[in-house]
Amino acid sequence: MKLLIVDDSSVVRRAIERDLESVGITDVDQAATGEDAVSLYSTKLHDVVTLDITMPGMDGLTCLDKIMEINPSARVLIISALRDKATAVDAIKRGASGFLCKPISPSDLREAFQLLVED
Amino acid sequence: MNDQDIEVFITSFRRYFESIKTDLKVVIEPPYIKDQEMPFLEYTGIIKIDGKAHGAVCFTANGQMLGNILDRLNEAPVNQVLICDLVGEIANTVSGNAREKFGPEFLISVPIVSTDNGGSIPFPADCRNYVIPIIWQSERAYLFVCLSDSVLA
Repeated sequence: MKLLIVDDSSVVRRAIERDLESVGITDVDQAATGEDAVSLYSTKLHDVVTLDITMPGMDGLTCLDKIMEINPSARVLIISALRDKATAVDAIKRGASGFLCKPISPSDLREAFQLLVED
Repeated sequence: MNDQDIEVFITSFRRYFESIKTDLKVVIEPPYIKDQEMPFLEYTGIIKIDGKAHGAVCFTANGQMLGNILDRLNEAPVNQVLICDLVGEIANTVSGNAREKFGPEFLISVPIVSTDNGGSIPFPADCRNYVIPIIWQSERAYLFVCLSDSVLA
């Protein structure tokens, strides 16, 4: 299981990595920008991507579009502080498989991840 | 911006601190308005707001509190880079959560981090500055909400 964590905050990236290590995910890449995420995804086609929206340079929704262009079956879990329904609906329409609002608890993350993997 | 609008920031601020694993309660004191000499602490995360409102939302805290939060997040060793990252992320989370009330036209920037007592913060001249104090693990921090009245439009 290959995981790509995309967030401009290293504290958030590391917290997600630690939480998902506890369910056996150890093949993990991290990206701090949308540009780096697209580059990494195009070479490794990760099984699951967690993706922030508000980032410097390419925002998460544009990054999502590019990942879906590369692989329309990509499984992308949005993890964002943007707590509004319109943004969540927009992300799902663009191809995201799920949407979690920050702050997230480890149990919420693990549950959303398991649902994504089992889907 | 009025007293009712500030509620969503209090809720978001509380939600963030309650998400940190601890037995200690979060205390949020009543907000007040302060137009001069804002109580800046060592580190400040700044989010510029545009679209439906104009101004800034800032979270300011001392390194001691931020270090304690990082410790709760199992980050070790704590360093200046992580502290700056965290103060920006808290400002980002609280600001982004405010879309719950203001919707997707409440546009937030990526975080800017200041250690110069807020000298670089783009507070608009035509609005009141709300200060929301918080006490967590005996440490005090503040959220500043400085937005133009257009947020109500």
